[in-house]
Amino acid sequence: MRWTAFAALALSSLAAPACAQSDEAQEARIEAFSEIPYWPGYWVSEYTIGTTIGGAAPALQEARESGNTEVFRNFMALNGGAAPWNEEGRRRMAEVRAAARGRKADGWGFPMMMNAATPLVFVFSPEMVIIANSYNEVRYIYTDGRPMPDELDMWPTVYGTSVGHWEGDTLVVETRMVSTPSDYFHSAPAFSEDAVYEERLRLEGDRLVGEYTITDPTTLSEPWQVTVGWLRDEGFDRMIQIDWDNDRTGSDGEYNTIEAEAQED
Amino acid sequence: MKKLLAVTAILGLTAITPTASAHHSNAMFDMSREVNMRGVVREFQWTNPHAYIQLVVTDENGEEVEWSMEMGAPMYLYARGWRPRTLRPGTEIQVRANPLRSGDPGGVVVDVVDAEGNEIGTNQ
Repeated sequence: MRWTAFAALALSSLAAPACAQSDEAQEARIEAFSEIPYWPGYWVSEYTIGTTIGGAAPALQEARESGNTEVFRNFMALNGGAAPWNEEGRRRMAEVRAAARGRKADGWGFPMMMNAATPLVFVFSPEMVIIANSYNEVRYIYTDGRPMPDELDMWPTVYGTSVGHWEGDTLVVETRMVSTPSDYFHSAPAFSEDAVYEERLRLEGDRLVGEYTITDPTTLSEPWQVTVGWLRDEGFDRMIQIDWDNDRTGSDGEYNTIEAEAQED
Repeated sequence: MKKLLAVTAILGLTAITPTASAHHSNAMFDMSREVNMRGVVREFQWTNPHAYIQLVVTDENGEEVEWSMEMGAPMYLYARGWRPRTLRPGTEIQVRANPLRSGDPGGVVVDVVDAEGNEIGTNQ
């Protein structure tokens, strides 16, 4: 239906007077918008609900007290802790862990930003989906029917190149050419730049659900499927937008520490 | 005591588990200990990936020591009623925190009260 509307718009633009063209364009756009779901609000990973000012999540505290290790596994599931790594993948992950102590980052990157300690907003238009977090990290997902760009028109980036489409109320996204996520963020998976990420995002009641299938023969023995859930938490009524520009992570050689501030003369 | 024992018992687990806000594990903090520091705010850093209270505390020898008190990210503070000007330089506060294992003067905030003992923001 959406494409019927676009086709009508395209044909009418060839011959119609400017005024009629404008009206039809407006009608087509209204119709296209009317078919798109609406996921208003600020969505946080479900295990971070109720996070305190000190950054403690009640779900993790309860899990520590009850010994429920499943919560720890699922807390930031996209970090790849449960992925079916092949030998090369295990080697890369071991290397990443070995270098993690005291390591700073510039942001979460993809895919971690979809599972990080930050609210997300989902903004839809007929042509594009924008997903943004409070670290000024943004994904642009083209839903205007275009194919994935030719390989020569892509290059590895932190957020990759994404195209998507709607299957009913499910947003289906394919993302390619993501630079190795662990190069950007130390607790991210060490997928190769050839990895293909498929997401199926849909609203189930008040819970937003994302099913991820990640295929990367370089590092995985088989495609990895993982589910992430988001909820609306209390107190979030606008995006508090700040760059990741004060990472004071340091190391004393054994443990991470907080770097002292550089003293001004 | 029961809670303390429970926390101690899972230290091995916490060493590989993240905090909620965080881009890092909480193994850097001794979650089995708490410090309660009364001091004066030098600076409140409303920054990502963490906010920090730079708190000047006078120790038992009369020396001023600056503590770096780590908090969650600003959007979580905002959601709990905090704002960048909630703590102005010179404000006297009391901070309860789990200290750094490194022994450096710093920790992760549990809660913050003003000089009169009133809670700041809504911690939950």
